[in-house]
Amino acid sequence: MDKAQNVNRIWQTIFILLIVLFMGIIIFPFFWILVTSFKPTSEIFGEGAYSIYAGRAVIEHYKTVIFEKQILRAVLNSFVVATTTMVYVVSIAILAAYAISRFNFKGKNILLGLILVISMFPQMIVVGPIYNLFTMLNLTNSYFVVLPYSTITLPAAVWIMVTHFNKIPLAIEESAKIDGATPFETLVKVVFPLAAPGVFTTAIITFISAWNEFLLTITINTNKEYHTVPVAVAFLRSQFSILWGQVSAATIIVTIPTLIIVLLFQKQIVSGLISGAVKE
Amino acid sequence: MEKRISFKEFLFILPILIIISVFSIWPILDSVKYTVFDYRLNDQQNSKMFLGSSFNTSSFNENAKYVAYYLKKDMEAVEDETQKQEFERIIVYVKEMMAVYEGQNQNIKLSGNEAHEIEDFIEKVKMDISNLYQVNAAANLSNRDNLPMIIEDLEKSLISSNFIGLKAYGKVLQDGRFWSALRNTLVFTIISVFIEFTLGLALAMIMNKAMKGIGLIRTVSLIPWAIPTAVSALMWSYMYDGGSGIIAKILADIGFVSSPEQLLLTSTGAMICAIIADVWKTTPYMALLILGGLQTIDSGLYESSQIDGAGIVKTFMAITLPLLKPAILVALLFRTLDAFRVYDLIAVLTGGGPGGSTETLSIYAYKIMFGQTNFGYGSVIVMMMFLCVAAIAALFVKVLGADVMSKN
Repeated sequence: MDKAQNVNRIWQTIFILLIVLFMGIIIFPFFWILVTSFKPTSEIFGEGAYSIYAGRAVIEHYKTVIFEKQILRAVLNSFVVATTTMVYVVSIAILAAYAISRFNFKGKNILLGLILVISMFPQMIVVGPIYNLFTMLNLTNSYFVVLPYSTITLPAAVWIMVTHFNKIPLAIEESAKIDGATPFETLVKVVFPLAAPGVFTTAIITFISAWNEFLLTITINTNKEYHTVPVAVAFLRSQFSILWGQVSAATIIVTIPTLIIVLLFQKQIVSGLISGAVKE
Repeated sequence: MEKRISFKEFLFILPILIIISVFSIWPILDSVKYTVFDYRLNDQQNSKMFLGSSFNTSSFNENAKYVAYYLKKDMEAVEDETQKQEFERIIVYVKEMMAVYEGQNQNIKLSGNEAHEIEDFIEKVKMDISNLYQVNAAANLSNRDNLPMIIEDLEKSLISSNFIGLKAYGKVLQDGRFWSALRNTLVFTIISVFIEFTLGLALAMIMNKAMKGIGLIRTVSLIPWAIPTAVSALMWSYMYDGGSGIIAKILADIGFVSSPEQLLLTSTGAMICAIIADVWKTTPYMALLILGGLQTIDSGLYESSQIDGAGIVKTFMAITLPLLKPAILVALLFRTLDAFRVYDLIAVLTGGGPGGSTETLSIYAYKIMFGQTNFGYGSVIVMMMFLCVAAIAALFVKVLGADVMSKN
C-alpha cells in the first residue's frame, strides 16, 4: 500500500510539472512581449535584446502607439463591429435554432446541411463577390462589414443554440401551448429564460469570432479609420517592421480586452466550444 | 413526422435564410461564375463579364472615319505613285467596312463570326498602316503619330466575350505554383494537426486528473485561442526576428540554424516557424475540446475496469478511446479544415515567403485576386480549395458515420 501511494505521488508530481511547463509555454510569448514593450529602443536591439528585464523601463512605446498610431481607434472599431455582430447574429441564431430544435418541417435537413457546409467552406470564396458587392453599393470603409461576418459566426451560433435548446425538456413548452401561447410567446416567455446560459455562451463566442476577423476587414475596409484590432496590428508590422517596441506595446494594449473577457467568462466559453464539438 | 412548415414557423427561419442567401450562398454561386470568365478588374476589356461580344458602332464609325481622313491627308504628301495607290487601297478597305455599320450608333451584340470579321479587319488595317509608314519613313507625314492612337481606340470599340468555359480549370492543373501551394498547405495541415492532436490528447488526460486549479488551467489555455491570429502571428514574428528574436537566438545557439537571420530565410525554417506558431495557438484549444469529451465519460466505467484488473493502457484503449471517438473526430475535422484554410497566420508571419515556400492556397488565391486583381483565376484557385475541403469533410463524415448528423 505504501509503495502504491509513493508511485501515485510521483505521478502526481510529474503531472503538476507538465501542467506548469505547459502553462509556462503558453504564457511565455506574452511575458516576453510585455518586457519588450517597456524596453527603450536601444535595449531592444543588440545585447539588451535577450535580457529578461528592461534595464531602464520606459513608457514611450505606449505613448507613441496611443497618441500617434491611434491604436485605441482600432480597439473602438473592434468593439463596435463585434458588439453589432453579436447582437444580430445571436438573435437570428436563436430563432433558427428554436425552429430546428422544436419544429418538424420539410427541408429541415437541407437547412442543417446548408449551415454545416457554410461552416466548412473556405472563407476566401465569399471575399471576391462580397468585395464587388460592397464596391458597387458604396459600402466599403463602413461598419457594414459586419453583415458578411455572418458567414463565419452564424453556423457556430446556431449549432451551440440547438444543443442548448435540445437540453430543455419539452413538457414546459407543451403546457404553455395548452394555455394558448403562440410559438413566439413560448420562445420569449418560457424557453428564453431557461436558455439564457446558452444564449450568453453563444454571444461570447460570436463576439470573440467577430473581434478576431481579419480577411474581410482588410479587404473591404482599407481606410485606416475603419481598421479593427487584427488589421491595425498587422499594419504596424509592414509600416515599421523593425520598431518592435511599438509593436509590443500595441500587442499588449489590444490583448487586454480579450484577456478580461476570457478571465470573466472562461466557463461559458469552454461550455460553448464543447457543445459545438461534443454532441451530448 | 415531417410536414409542411406553417407560416408562423417559417418566420423563425426567415431571417437566417435571408442572411445566408445574401452573404454566403449568393457569393459562392457568384464565385463559380467568375471561374468561367477571364475576369480581371484592372484590364479595361475584361473588367466585366461578357457572355457575348459587344460592339460600339458609333465609336467604330467615328474612329474609322478619322483613319480614312488621316490617311488621305498623308497620301497627298507622298510623291511615289505606287505608294499613293497603297494609301488609296487601305482607304477603300476602311470605307467598305464603314459602309456595313453606317447609320448605326449604339452598342450592338455580335455573333461570333461578325466579331471575328471585325477583329481581323482591325488587325489587317493596323498591320498595313504600320508597314506603309515604315516604307515611307523618309517622307514628312504629319499623322505618323496620330494614326496608332486612333487605331487603338478603334480596337476598343469591339469588346469581345471573355467567357472561357472551363479553360481556367485546365490551366490551374498545369500551374506549378498551384501544386506547390497545395503541397505547402497539406504539409502545414497534416503536421500541425497531428502535433496538436497528440499533444492535446496528452494534455487533456493530464488536466482530467488535476482537478485542483482547473479553472486557472482552463483560463490560461483559452488565451491563445481567444486572441486574434494576426496578433499572435505578430508576437511570434518578433520572437523569430533575426536581429532581436529570442527564439531565433536560441535555435541558432543550439545549432538548429547557422545564424538567427537564417531562421525565416530558409524554406524549411519558415515552414517550421509557421507550424510552431499554429501549434502554440491551437493545442490548448484542442486539449479543452478533448477534455470536454473526457468529462462526459462515466467514472463508474473506470472503477469497474480497475476492479477487473485492467491496466492503464488497456483501460485507455478499451474505454477512453472508443467513448472519446466522436468528440475527437469532430474536433479533428474542424481543426483540419481550419488549418487547411489558414490565411491570417501566414499572411502576417511570412507573407508566403521565402520564395513561396510557405505560400498556402489561401495566400496564393488572395494574391491573385487582390494583388493582381485577377478575380477569374483567383476564384478558380479558391474553387479547387473548396473541392479539397469537401473531400476532407466527406472523408471525416465517412469515418464519423451517422454520428455527426443523427442527433439533430
